[in-house]
Amino acid sequence: MDDHLNGAYVFRVYLAGGAPNSVRALANLYALCHKHFPNSHRIEVIDVLKEPLRALAESILVTPTVIKVSPAPEQQIIGNLSEEEEVLRALGLPQRENG
Amino acid sequence: MKKKTNLVAVEKISSGIEGFDDITGGGVPAGRTTLLMGGPGCGKTVLALQMLAGAAIHHGTPGIFVAFEENARRVSANGETFGWDMPELEKSHLFFIDACLRSDVVKSGAFDLTGLLAALEAKAHEMGARLIVFDAIDVLLSLLDDPAAECRELYRLNEWLTLRSLTGIITAKIEDGEPASARRYGFMPFMADCAVLLSQRIYDRIAVRAMRVLKYRNSSHILNEVPFVIGLSGVEVGSSNGVHPEPQPFDEKVSTGIERLDAMLCGGIYRGTNVLITGSSGGGKSTLAGAFLEAACRRGESSLFISFDENSRDIVRDLAAMSINLTPYTASGLLRMEALRTEAASSEEHFMRIKHLIAEHKPRCVAVDPLSALARVGGVLAARTIAERLIYLCRNVGITVLFTSLMEGVDPHLETTTLHISTISDSWIQISYALLDGERNRALSIIKSRGSKHSNQLRELIFSDTGISLADPYTAGGTVLMGTMRTEKENAVQTAASHKHLGPERDT
Repeated sequence: MDDHLNGAYVFRVYLAGGAPNSVRALANLYALCHKHFPNSHRIEVIDVLKEPLRALAESILVTPTVIKVSPAPEQQIIGNLSEEEEVLRALGLPQRENG
Repeated sequence: MKKKTNLVAVEKISSGIEGFDDITGGGVPAGRTTLLMGGPGCGKTVLALQMLAGAAIHHGTPGIFVAFEENARRVSANGETFGWDMPELEKSHLFFIDACLRSDVVKSGAFDLTGLLAALEAKAHEMGARLIVFDAIDVLLSLLDDPAAECRELYRLNEWLTLRSLTGIITAKIEDGEPASARRYGFMPFMADCAVLLSQRIYDRIAVRAMRVLKYRNSSHILNEVPFVIGLSGVEVGSSNGVHPEPQPFDEKVSTGIERLDAMLCGGIYRGTNVLITGSSGGGKSTLAGAFLEAACRRGESSLFISFDENSRDIVRDLAAMSINLTPYTASGLLRMEALRTEAASSEEHFMRIKHLIAEHKPRCVAVDPLSALARVGGVLAARTIAERLIYLCRNVGITVLFTSLMEGVDPHLETTTLHISTISDSWIQISYALLDGERNRALSIIKSRGSKHSNQLRELIFSDTGISLADPYTAGGTVLMGTMRTEKENAVQTAASHKHLGPERDT
């Protein structure tokens, strides 16, 4: 997790405690990061159950919600990230990539 | 919070909309979920917003509006157009959450409402909100693209509301009789404690809105569909419930403005009752309406003249030609003239407009000319109910009303009106044409006058620049003579110096 690297991927994840979709989203995001940018990513986790008014202020409607903060532009993805192709497309990464 | 308790002990929150409280027996169930369903543009959002704003304005109940489809700022701005002080309300009592997803949001896999509900709970606690509106939640849930998951989230929402004793109002685009949405959201009415279906249909090119309470758990409600409009001050529901035709015991008589007609009616019509004037086009119905209101104004009574499809200036001018001068009264404000365009609105909207005018101007005498215009828009059946409600409305507050109604191509022997209002009118005067010897003369007869004696004879109605008069019938050899024939006969009789009275007036 080295955010000093140039072009680091920064994600903010809004979860609802241990809700199944939330747990799955986080696991999927970790897996994706390790696979595509093993040394250049940072994940910030916000538990909406603990900080409910922050979610409201940041217009988070559903959980889980993942926001790619950088590189710009910001991209919002809702859902447990189980549809990997959609996520890759949203992040501008090549799909069906091996290794 | 003002709560009403009825016999079955379901706590209810008044919607602040009289007609809606009528059909639901007092409002929406407190601490439970109410579902407002209907197609696009049928008024769900406005109704939900009005309930929320109304609870805040009238009872100081804080509430939250979650807008899933429309921009929250726009919803709030829309509320202002109905005269609700949204900026002020938003300072303390109302909170809007913009829950429209940005168009660039990508969806990958399943999600749920847990986060939103946690956020809402914190906000509700912070401001003490008791009422939460979820407007067009189907927009968000349809993203799940999984009917089972949608159903699960709605149940989650319902359960969340129930456990916290929050009153929820959920709106969803569900159209009646549309199989796709019925399959998808068919469970929703079962889930909610109260379900109301809103609809918008087109009759004779005029859009007519209606609502119906589909279910109300543990409470009685009105099963019928009732019309509603979205007027200047929001939703108004036209429920006939609560309007009871209780004729008030008036024994004061009110002049019709025509001396001879008053005599035929033994002094006029009872105050607080109504008189129906029927006749064909050009028969002089409007003139009688003008005479009635001129007399009211002369007595110093506040009056209202509602005309359809004729502008007030023309009416005043035409009446002036018959020596009926309304100008001083319109100038002083004693008489209010309101010209409505029939085709511009549905009969329900016209009714609401008239109701407002009556509330605003507080007239003692009203003329509606012609009431039959209502039948041209939004279906005859709807117009009939409206004519009835108008009659009951006036009767309840003791307003004396004159209605005119056009009879066209109706069998004169049947003597019924398009709106069938003759049966509920208190008095009924018919103007007809008598064709005699190449002359067309107006004949007036009183068909009925409830609780009062009246003449049963046909009179000749004469309009001249000196005013309206009713000539005695001239019966000769069993025939009623009118016009030239009457004049000739009168002259003949006079020359013959015969003072025999030929037409004894038979008052019954």
